[in-house]
Amino acid sequence: MEPFLYEYAWLIPALPLLGAALVGIGLISVNNVTNKLRQLNAVVILSLIGVATTMAFALLWSQIQGHAPYNRSFEWAAAGSFHLTMGYVIDPLTTVMLAIVTTVALLVMIYTDGYMAHDAGYVRFYAYLSIFSASMLGLVISPNLVQVYIFWELVGMCSYLLIGFWYDRKAAADACQKAFVVNRVGDFGLLLGILGLYWATGSFEFAVIGERLEELVASGALAGGLATLFGILVFLGPVAKSAQFPLHVWLPDAMEGPTPISALIHAATMVAAGVFLIARMYPVLEPFPVVMNVIAWTGALTAFLGASIAITQNDIKKGLAYSTISQLGYMVMAMGSGAYSAGLFHLMTHAYFKAMLFLCSGSVIHGMEAVVGHNPILAQDMRLMGGLRKYMPITATTFLIGNLAICGIPPFAGFWSKDEILGLTFGANPALWLVGWLTAGITAFYMFRMYFLTFEGKFRGTDTAIQGELLAAAGVSAGHDDHHDDKPHESPWTMTLPLAILAIPSALIGFAGVPWHNRFEHLVHAPGEVLAAVAEFDQTEFLIMAGSSVGIGLIGIALAGLMYAQKVIDPGAIARSIQPLYNFSLNKWYFDELYHRVFVIGSRRLARQMLEIDYRVVDGAVNFTGLVTVVTGQGLKYLENGRVQFYALIIFAAVLGFVVVSSI
Amino acid sequence: MNATDFPWLTAIILFPLVAGLFIPLIPDKDGKTVRWYALIVGLIDFVLIIYAFYTSYDLAEPGLQMVESYPWIPDLDLNWSVGVDGLSMPLVILTGFISTLAIMAAWPVTLKPKLFYFLMLAMYGGQIAVFAVQDMLLFFLVWELELVPVYLILSIWGGKKRLYAATKFILYTAGGSLFILAAALTMAFYGDTVTFDMTAIAAKDFGLGLQLLLYAGFLIAYGVKLPIFPLHTWLPDAHGEATAPAHMLLAGILLKMGGYALIRMNVGMLPDAHVKFAPVLIILGVVNIIYAALTSFAQRNLKRKIAYSSISHMGFVLIGMASFTELGMSGAVLQMISHGLIGASLFFMVGATYDRTHTLMLDEMGGVGKKMKKAFAMWTACSLASLALPGMSGFVAELMVFVGFATSDAYSTTFRVIVVLLAAVGVILTPIYLLSMLREIFYGEENPNLVAHEKLVDVEPREVFIIGALLIPIIGIGFYPKIATQIYDATTTQLTAMLRSHLPNAAVANPEESLALTSPSIPPALKR
Repeated sequence: MEPFLYEYAWLIPALPLLGAALVGIGLISVNNVTNKLRQLNAVVILSLIGVATTMAFALLWSQIQGHAPYNRSFEWAAAGSFHLTMGYVIDPLTTVMLAIVTTVALLVMIYTDGYMAHDAGYVRFYAYLSIFSASMLGLVISPNLVQVYIFWELVGMCSYLLIGFWYDRKAAADACQKAFVVNRVGDFGLLLGILGLYWATGSFEFAVIGERLEELVASGALAGGLATLFGILVFLGPVAKSAQFPLHVWLPDAMEGPTPISALIHAATMVAAGVFLIARMYPVLEPFPVVMNVIAWTGALTAFLGASIAITQNDIKKGLAYSTISQLGYMVMAMGSGAYSAGLFHLMTHAYFKAMLFLCSGSVIHGMEAVVGHNPILAQDMRLMGGLRKYMPITATTFLIGNLAICGIPPFAGFWSKDEILGLTFGANPALWLVGWLTAGITAFYMFRMYFLTFEGKFRGTDTAIQGELLAAAGVSAGHDDHHDDKPHESPWTMTLPLAILAIPSALIGFAGVPWHNRFEHLVHAPGEVLAAVAEFDQTEFLIMAGSSVGIGLIGIALAGLMYAQKVIDPGAIARSIQPLYNFSLNKWYFDELYHRVFVIGSRRLARQMLEIDYRVVDGAVNFTGLVTVVTGQGLKYLENGRVQFYALIIFAAVLGFVVVSSI
Repeated sequence: MNATDFPWLTAIILFPLVAGLFIPLIPDKDGKTVRWYALIVGLIDFVLIIYAFYTSYDLAEPGLQMVESYPWIPDLDLNWSVGVDGLSMPLVILTGFISTLAIMAAWPVTLKPKLFYFLMLAMYGGQIAVFAVQDMLLFFLVWELELVPVYLILSIWGGKKRLYAATKFILYTAGGSLFILAAALTMAFYGDTVTFDMTAIAAKDFGLGLQLLLYAGFLIAYGVKLPIFPLHTWLPDAHGEATAPAHMLLAGILLKMGGYALIRMNVGMLPDAHVKFAPVLIILGVVNIIYAALTSFAQRNLKRKIAYSSISHMGFVLIGMASFTELGMSGAVLQMISHGLIGASLFFMVGATYDRTHTLMLDEMGGVGKKMKKAFAMWTACSLASLALPGMSGFVAELMVFVGFATSDAYSTTFRVIVVLLAAVGVILTPIYLLSMLREIFYGEENPNLVAHEKLVDVEPREVFIIGALLIPIIGIGFYPKIATQIYDATTTQLTAMLRSHLPNAAVANPEESLALTSPSIPPALKR
């Protein structure tokens, strides 16, 4: 069974691709029929991803049993003596990623049936989901950098298509373009990094690059600064994909896409691809302390930045998006400070609990839409929610579990992974730990603020005064009143079932990585790293570290409770007393404004000037040269003496004249 | 008759021309019979091309194959001499493919259909002739003759400013052709023997000085065609006024003639001059990429926007052919094939959109996605192909050029770093203008100022078929590039080897270089 499984592992990405292709061809050729079949399409795609999930778990099991890594490749491109292979690699890191991606994808697809039930683009949405799953699975099995780059861009494309899914909304149209372009900025760095590394080492393979690069630097054949530069360029890719400072600006806007997408792509899988790439490139990046420091500090800054913005967000999805940015910051920080398996462990726990939190928010929005109508400005704003626990008990319970997990309250999943990161960063650099520790407190505060505003207190959804205020703030006139319900309702079982299933890993998966018996680290550890004896567990240190992070988490929760549940402290008063800071956070540190002014306006102006030059200078100069040539051509008649060399001289003169004229 | 003895190339070139001559005899009032006739002729010729290459072409052989030579006008030493190698063969296939699809794209043409389809067939044969002839004088002749149908199609079926555009087109290209004639005559009469045969000319040893002059002449002529900055300004005008099928031919094939001739003559016949001129080509290539991407971003006219994007993509061809690596040269050829397909598909979509919106100005469009869903999907696919999304042919070609140039030992590290950096800026700029374009056409609420709301119908099956036919090779090459590269690999490898022998001790010339290059001496460990 096992050889067969490994030999056909390529089916894992191929099956969802097949599903997407079938449905896509159906949509293009017989649109009406395909759309009428509706759920049949979903069933086809779901069963294909189901098979992929089964295979992924079989492989994971086999790797846990200690099966040797498996590699298969074929020649993909060739030119003369140059050969480039593609293929797949199955090792512990891959199988863990495969398991995460397939489970989340499968559950999100089940959820989608309920969430998108009434959407005209139901079938198209499934096709997109399926092609995304294929690309993401292809990414994690990539054995070399070029293949990573290929799938890296393909998941970016899926993200583009899915953010812009509701393409008649202007906000979605802007957001999808922003996401793609910002990611291309990161890809620009990644591409340059790949080229540089290939030039230096003659290889695209992770391990080979790392080995040779170290050798080259050690022997002095390659300047250490250059190697560092390549490392940082490669890191630009993860900076964009994993929404790290300063390229994080696309992720909050990406929430314009349907919520299942926010859960699958923009929380659990694609945004984690950056962390995955750092893990894959670990042998290349690890020997260069400057690179590792840049990575660690970028992560720390991002963790803090995301959390500090999340405090003031009122849109439930935007709040979660900033929390995702912050959590990704933790992972990147862990990678940069050498906590390889801790970072990946957090990637796994985060994938489950954040996917669940997003799906919960989708369920909330679904319920709110029954009251306030299909307007994202109203349906997603927490100021209109409150008291939803009464109406949607399953959603509220699962949201609470996710909340406890992300806040790092034992024994929920997030506690183990976050605590491991904080413990290891403390060893690497206490300053980093301090940032992470403070951020943990802020995280607990804003997540429980979110919980209390949404699920506790009394329901505010029917308050037309707040509705009017929100619409006015968004610059939309209060339109027709199309709501048909006074209170929200719990979502259908297709939506609550995935929530309930995801609650299990969110609560329990942390036990895979308890510090005294770390099975996760035993499976996934940095290449070349000799595992420290498991017995090295220091109970006192663990208790101090865990105690301090749980402590600050509890303080955050308590503060949130006092402000938003007990209403003992008035948050408005605090906001007013620190108005500039409050505005700084509310306006997301003014990044969007800055980028708009510098890059968007700047590039438009530059482009317009270029066009102006093209019309007036270049076109004019060439037309003028043409005129001159015609005139001299007339003169040539009289100078003709049959010598070919003379013609050549004339041509040469023409060229010279041309160069002179066009360089003006 | 033995399949290998049959004069396949001559037949492929002449068949559409001769068949075109019968068009006036076809009883037809409304053009509906003629178009079927033209389509069938195009299809037959395409099948002939595929069959001929399948039976008689050997992929492993780098030199000329299927050579036919007949004396035509002995007094002028003019021979009808045709043959194909790895450079021309893929472009001949591309021509057959695009021309056939262009005839299908011309379905709605109602003005003077007989003349139109005759010209389409004339272009069909003429373009193949440009890629196949192996005689300099003949090359010049077909190059010139090829201009006539293009000029007529532009000036009769074009837009409002068609006469200006057509005149500009003919002046530019004909002006450039003078240089071809002058250079061709010089090359033919140079030395002891007078010959127009390309292989014989390539074997001649011109002095470096003369090589440089000839090279400059060709560069201007083919630079107009490709086009190279600053000779590109005819192209937005010509493209801005042409109809969709003419567009497909202009972008899909005519631009490739420039690239083909540059590789065939400048690179293949004047290698010493190429060594000197290569840095200029690289710089022009980078300018093409960035400058045209920026101008495309600022353009508000859809056709002109895509026209500038073509110019931008051609920059990679220049960098590839001047990289002195097998990979770069291969990438340059692949970029030509790839852009032939992608450019044709984009321009076809422009035409299909214009038929519905009756405007090309982006400000007058907006939000048409709701009514034209399939058109939206096809536009998105073509735009993604054009912005070099992996999985599509453009990505492979650009990657090959990038890797080829980055690892080239003919340039100093600093030069390479700057060029790669700047060329990679194009990677950021391309999605900016293409995705902005998509957003302005399809996304958002429907623009209330649309010229024709009621005409916004979705694409018809014929149009889906054309785009589908173009996307299959685009995606096919993207998924498995070897299907395209193995066709011409033998020739580009040989060409690069020849070029490198003219390279004055590249690695030694640059001490800093040889130091850094100690590393790639480790054999590439890509084969496991």
